[in-house]
Order: sequence, then structure tokens, then C-alpha cells
Amino acid sequence: MQASASTPARPDTDPSSALEQLIGRVALGQRAAFSALYEATSAQLFGVVLRINPDRAQAEDVLQEIYVNVWRAAGGYDAARAQPMTWLTSIARHGAIDSLRRGRARGQGMTVSLTAQGDGDDDPAERLVSDAPGPLELLQQAAGARAVTRCVGELSAEQKQCIALAYYQGLSHAEIAQQLVQPLGTVKSWLRRALLALKDCLTAAAARAPGREG
Amino acid sequence: MDYGRPDRADRLAAEYVLGTLRGPARRRFVALLPGHPALRDAVRQWQDRLAPLAASIEPVTPPAALWPRIEARLFGTEPAAAPLAWWRRLALWQGATGLTALAAAMLLALVLQQPAVQPPIVIVLGVNPDVPQTVQARFVASLGADGRSLVLEPIDPPPLEATQSLELWAVPPAGAPRSLGIVRADAATTLLRAQLLSDTAALAVSIEPAGGSPSGAPTGPIVSLGKLAL
Repeated sequence: MQASASTPARPDTDPSSALEQLIGRVALGQRAAFSALYEATSAQLFGVVLRINPDRAQAEDVLQEIYVNVWRAAGGYDAARAQPMTWLTSIARHGAIDSLRRGRARGQGMTVSLTAQGDGDDDPAERLVSDAPGPLELLQQAAGARAVTRCVGELSAEQKQCIALAYYQGLSHAEIAQQLVQPLGTVKSWLRRALLALKDCLTAAAARAPGREG
Repeated sequence: MDYGRPDRADRLAAEYVLGTLRGPARRRFVALLPGHPALRDAVRQWQDRLAPLAASIEPVTPPAALWPRIEARLFGTEPAAAPLAWWRRLALWQGATGLTALAAAMLLALVLQQPAVQPPIVIVLGVNPDVPQTVQARFVASLGADGRSLVLEPIDPPPLEATQSLELWAVPPAGAPRSLGIVRADAATTLLRAQLLSDTAALAVSIEPAGGSPSGAPTGPIVSLGKLAL
């Protein structure tokens, strides 16, 4: 369960290593470790969930569901194969996206704004998200480190928009097409090429700099 | 859909991780993951690739009330299969029934302060909030001052089939309930037992197979409960 054998150089103060140990202890049913894991990660995961599902009450339910799943799935976590935050974030994003599908199926609208300030109009739906950075800004900020910088930079403007709307706001192909006022097939094609380009670029970067990145 | 082709598997994994794989396709993909190591590898690689994107999302501290909700959901209730779960919930149940709580408090005072000469002690066995309304029942138990005799009278008896009996239980503060015997649903039952009140925190009535619980512990629904001491 623990990855300590494969990562002897990491001190215990390394945040990732500490999270790995917490998840390992959660897998053993230790509630104190579960509480510490929640303390350490819930704000980050709540941020992820709220980005995708801005409905506060639903987001709280999703976060609750996420940690129930974490408690039950901790035994399946393999520290040698996934960074703890990557694992947790994946659980959070899938939970949030599933909740979104249920919410929209009930006829709730979606709130979309590509940039923080929208277009300056008075659409109340846009004001809801006006204080937070838009998905494109998040993408630029995320690209502020390591190999992702160059790889995101190499995407076209349309590809960036598609990736940002899908990743940060959990939009489907159809919703992105609606948002960008583009045919569905065009959007699918942009996204597919964007993902391929990211993969090629990041794979090449990883080959040049071996070792697991955070 | 052919998941065996590596390029298609990789594309689906990418769309799944990004979040754009939706609906039936997404559910099919999730269902296939456990049996397809190659798909899982592709998913993990895409999770690694896209993970840095989450770093720019600002953390939002969830409300303080959320953690207790998670704890209650995971640990707050006894497992449904645990045979003794119902009487461990007595403390919670007690708080919700003020009238019985008052009666129990008065009873406790009687038991503690008047050991020598006591009038009969009356205990109301109320409905158990944990069972469906159709089988709820109420009883009144009168305990003799000597602690050896008990008369149980049905007020609202539960519906019983011919193959069922009612059984009365003494519930200790800790440990398993002990049977006080079979009681009638249609008339008062008088029981004579030594030490009826000793180590007894509550009385309970359960529905059992005809003749009583075969195991010595309650097996059927607890239809009525009355707490004896706080």
C-alpha cells in the first residue's frame, strides 16, 4: 500500500508523501487519518467541485459523496501509480460531473462564462461567476509551471477554449458547441486534436525529464 | 464500440478524464474499466497529464457542518445487520420522546429514593420510531415494588399472525437483552421473575416466531420500547 519503498529519498514532510501515508492509514480503517486527510484536502477538492457545479448545496452533497467514496476506495489506491492529489482530484471531478448531469437533467440551467468579467452585459447568470477567474484564465495559470506551459501554449485559441470549458466547468461536447456557437462536429474535432497535441507534447517533455512530476 | 483498438481506447480515456465522455458511453466505459487493464492504464496516464490543470483552482473551505455529516454517514449509525443495534439507539430515541423521558426520570427518582416502600412502578412502552408505522405498538408495564412481578398490558397491540408471538425483553445498559418471556397481545400478562429491575435500563417488546425467539436474542422487529433509567 505504501510507496515508501519506491520513494526512499522523500522525507516525511513531503506533502505528497504525507498524503500517501494518510490514504494508506485510511485504507486500514483509521478514522483519525481520515479526518486528517479531509483537513488537508477538502478545500482543494471543494474548489474543484464548485468550479464544475456552482450550486452550493449540490456541491456540498458531492463533496460528502466524494469522501464517502474515498473512505471506501482507499484500499484500492496505489501510491506507486498515482499521485495522491491526482487520485483525489479524479474522484472529485467524476463526482462533480455526474452531479452536473443529474442537475441538468432536472432542467437546471448551466452558468458559463469564458472570462471573469463576461462581456460586460447584465446577464445575472454571468454575474454569478464574475468574481472568480474564468476557465481560460485558470488554464493560463495552470500552465505557469513545467512542461504544461509550453504544451498549452502550443494549442490554438479554439483548442484552449474547449479544454478549459471541459476541464474546469465540466461542459459536454454539445454544451461547448452551444457556448462557442460552433457546430458540434467542429468542437469535437478541436477537442480531439487538442488532446492529441497535449499528449504528444507532454509525452515528449516527460521523455526529456524522467521522473514523476507533481 | 471496439475498445480493443489502442487509439480508440486512448481517445475514450482522454474524453473520460477530461469529462466530455457522457451518457451511455460514459457508463459503458466505467463498467469496462475493472476488466480492462489497458483502459485503466490509459485513464491513469491521462489523469497524470491533466492533473496540473487542477493546481490553479482556488481552494474553497467547505462549511464546518460538512465533516460531521460525512462522519455520521459513514460511522454514525450502527450496521443494519447488527442484532443489537436497536437498543444501542435507545439513548437517541429517549431524547425524542419527552413524555417517556419525564416518566423515566420520575421512575429513577422513585427507584433511588424509596427503596423500602414503593408503590407499583409504571413504565410506558412507546412506539419504536425505527419500525414501520403499521407494526407500531404501545404497552404499559407495572412493576411490583418487590421487583419480582411485572404486569404488561397492551394498549395498542401490533397485528400478529398465527405463527408469531410477542416477547418481552429486559435491556441492560450494556450487553445483550435478556428474555423475560412470551407476552400476550390481547390481554394482560403477569410475569414473576427474580431481579426484574436489576441491571435493566429498558423494556422492549419484539415480534418473534411462535413460542419465542429461537436464538435467545431478539430476531424480529422491536415494536415497542420503554426506558427505565437515565
